[in-house]
Amino acid sequence: MSGTLTGHPVLDPRHAPPFPIAALPVLRNPQLRKNVAHATNVIQTKRARLVAEKTDWQELRTAAAAIRSHVLEDLGSYLEEFEVRCTAAGGKVHWASDAVEARAIIIEVLRQEQANEVIKIKTMTSAEIQLNPALEAAGIHAYETDLAELILQLGEGEPSHFVVPALHVNRSQVREIFARRMGLKDLPDDPKALTAAARTYLRQKFLTIPTAIGGANFLIAETGSVAVVESEGNGRMCLTLPRTLITLAGIEKVLPRFQDLEVMLQLLARSATGERMSPYTSLWTGVTPGDGPQRFHVVLLDNGRSSILARPVERQTLRCIRCAACLNTCPVYRQTGGHAYGSVYPGPIGAILTPQLMHMEFAQSLPFASSLCGACYEVCPVKINIPQVLLELRSQVVNQERRQPARFGDLMFLGMKTANAIFAGARRFRAAQWLGRIALRPFTRKDGWIHSLPSLGAKWTQTRDLRGLPSQSFRQWWVARGKEER
Amino acid sequence: MSAPSLSRQLILDRIRAATHKLPSEASVAAEQLRSYIRRGKLSVQDRLKLMIERLREYDAEVVDCMPEEVPAAIGKQLALSGRRVFVTPEGLPAQWLAAGFDWKIDRGLENAEIEQAEGVVTAAFCGVADSGTIVLHHSNSEGRRVLTLLPDWHLCILYANQVVETLPEYFDRCPSPSPLHPSDKDLSLGTPPLHPSDKDLSLGTPPLATYISGPSATADIEMTRIKGVHGPRFLNVILVRDEN
Amino acid sequence: MRASLFITCYNDTLYPETGRAVVRLLERLGVELEFHPQQTCCGQMHANTGFRVEAFSQARRFVGLYRNTETVVIPSSSCVAMIRDQYPGLFDELGNEAQRSEFAALLPRIYELSEFLIDRLGVEDVGAYFPHRVTYHASCHSLRGLHVGDRPLRLLNKVRGLELVPLENMDRCCGFGGTFSIKNADVSSAMLTAKLQDVLATRAEYCTALDNSCLMHLGGAMHRQFAAMRTIHLAQILCATEGAPPEETV
Repeated sequence: MSGTLTGHPVLDPRHAPPFPIAALPVLRNPQLRKNVAHATNVIQTKRARLVAEKTDWQELRTAAAAIRSHVLEDLGSYLEEFEVRCTAAGGKVHWASDAVEARAIIIEVLRQEQANEVIKIKTMTSAEIQLNPALEAAGIHAYETDLAELILQLGEGEPSHFVVPALHVNRSQVREIFARRMGLKDLPDDPKALTAAARTYLRQKFLTIPTAIGGANFLIAETGSVAVVESEGNGRMCLTLPRTLITLAGIEKVLPRFQDLEVMLQLLARSATGERMSPYTSLWTGVTPGDGPQRFHVVLLDNGRSSILARPVERQTLRCIRCAACLNTCPVYRQTGGHAYGSVYPGPIGAILTPQLMHMEFAQSLPFASSLCGACYEVCPVKINIPQVLLELRSQVVNQERRQPARFGDLMFLGMKTANAIFAGARRFRAAQWLGRIALRPFTRKDGWIHSLPSLGAKWTQTRDLRGLPSQSFRQWWVARGKEER
Repeated sequence: MSAPSLSRQLILDRIRAATHKLPSEASVAAEQLRSYIRRGKLSVQDRLKLMIERLREYDAEVVDCMPEEVPAAIGKQLALSGRRVFVTPEGLPAQWLAAGFDWKIDRGLENAEIEQAEGVVTAAFCGVADSGTIVLHHSNSEGRRVLTLLPDWHLCILYANQVVETLPEYFDRCPSPSPLHPSDKDLSLGTPPLHPSDKDLSLGTPPLATYISGPSATADIEMTRIKGVHGPRFLNVILVRDEN
Repeated sequence: MRASLFITCYNDTLYPETGRAVVRLLERLGVELEFHPQQTCCGQMHANTGFRVEAFSQARRFVGLYRNTETVVIPSSSCVAMIRDQYPGLFDELGNEAQRSEFAALLPRIYELSEFLIDRLGVEDVGAYFPHRVTYHASCHSLRGLHVGDRPLRLLNKVRGLELVPLENMDRCCGFGGTFSIKNADVSSAMLTAKLQDVLATRAEYCTALDNSCLMHLGGAMHRQFAAMRTIHLAQILCATEGAPPEETV
């Protein structure tokens, strides 16, 4: 395993351990926690400054949420419009109902191109459908060209954030990976030298590999255009130099009009990287003779999105523009980083998106991987009420559990049912308080505090004491006071 | 491969079923919620000052000159660069091709040739002061996209009259035609794809655009910002003071 | 002015001294308090853990108890946030028209303690005396749910003798999150450690907040670690006077 960045398996929600278990090794890794805290601090600080400067920030959020909600309400029409325009401009539009189909479509296009290599722009959607392993199996090697993705690919690691995927990796780890995989023994570990090494390594690939795969930040329905926002220029390389370009995009990426970009672009970079605009935004429409790829394919991906669309509270999940502001502000993510979520979509948005893309059959621990603090909702540029969706998904998970016989062995479940019965009446509640005092007395030390509890209680006392139950509850005091006053 | 139209219909049916049964959220048409800032409030001079300031924040070199001084200003910037071989788009005014340099005019240059060039000189469509963004619509005088991508040094000639304050003002300069009905598939009512044309004749939405807001950069390694990864590392701007 | 005190299930059981402080404080300010003996819980724990049907039964019971009450005061911002943010959805989904309108009529009459003091009683100076170094943690529900803003700080600033020390990352979650502290105990503990670093760095003697839930979590760790700091609910600070310092709690 030497040379690999983590021992983590591929981020597949079907196989990932539940969040509390996946988080533990990360919590025990001070280097990783430091990297995550540092990265998120940097972006948050930059973001805060720019948001304070943008006096119409809240109005922009309102408009963005409205545009995204509106497009979802009429998604079919807008997708069809996009298809018509893009096709008229020389693009070929494919529809993939799931990951299997998306991979098959892409591989088929590559076979027709006789491509055994492709250059890739970072796209979370391609990680979602596990494209790279499928390409390898089909004899096609994909070169990741985004610096972070390159680091992860060469180092056999997995992304932990969708804007800065390698934030969990530090410079000496990058140095080691590049030195080994690029054959550069004397490579120093300063970021400038490492970046220069990546530039050299990738340059020839950009100039010679004729097929590229990328994603889309936005699809524009009224023009059939695609917009890609990036910092490094590898996107522009992949979008301009090859002969054939395949764009993979979730069906929810569409915006109605070109002009809608005036809202989205003001929000995206500020939220994602704390910049007013990312260095490069590229916009293209189908094929332009003499400029850029002459063969252009768009693969529209459903893969569970249409079922999210159907649900009233959850539909807002699809507004997401993948800025990762929620990750950067999340106090849970801050401690665990991305891998603990067992998905290419980590953090608050991942906690609601991943289980839904899995039709609630997997990743059921993710909706509970939150203290419901609401910081994510505050920063979301499209106003996704993530806590509201988390609560809705928790209720679905519990409803699944209600149908399982195993629930009677689940202490948490039994505890909740019991508590509900207790809260149903004041007499039972008082009786439960009395029983609680008796039950906890043996655990209560002379100083009146409980240091250690069994069973579920041990989860509390692993790091906290608990003050023992006072011998008189408030209501008992109130009643006694009333009696005294008479 | 499975029949493509089957999936298309399947997905659209699922979407229709999903959006049909739910009542509209209380979502007002997007138009009614455009209460964000569209028009800037700065004077012309302040707007240009802001553009220059933002460009310099990105380490772009900015000089200004009067319209009649453009060729000389270009010559000076090229000389200061220490570079000799430049590519240019076909539509760049001939008087901008300063003497004493090796000009490769793009009439279909191979990528390998462009890769050999040390710099590129182009016009622009627009500048957005708020973010220091240079907008290219890749007309004849702005060039194919590859021209401003491969060379390491880009000199951009931007006119003061092309500079707006806010991003929405840029979008006002390339307006959509009237809102299309989503079900209208008659292409004659749609946005005609533009042929790359002279810089001042772009109407409607551009089929190609690149918005440049600084040299390429990454912060992927320990959040340390490194300038210049794949795109040009050096951006120079001549701001032509034609505002009067 | 009359008000009915909803003490909350956990204050009743674990922090009766907070309740006593609320009573003494409000009576000192001329409020005639009632206490409905049938009260139990607002349903938050169940709603937050995904047990919506159960949460609704408690919500219905709550509304039923207080439907004729003029004003309800609650010394817990998370419970008020439950009522304001989640009850509407519960009643929409599981209630009938009559229940919905009963709830809608009650909703504006519910106050968190600092809201009640500032918005209803119109006081910032409650005549308190608490000569200690204190830092204030902004609980997530009060900050982002109720938008209490600077109300608690305005109240604290008027407490004589009190030295208020700003808390770095004041608005960052302490990691309690209700059943989150059990279901994700390790992550909750990691968040707690991070928060405690900021809290202890203030060198205050007390950490206060609007919610005993956060304080139970922070205070439990302080006690475990023999930290030179204790937690205390805002009500107990505001109740304290020269003649009557806060109760000695264990």
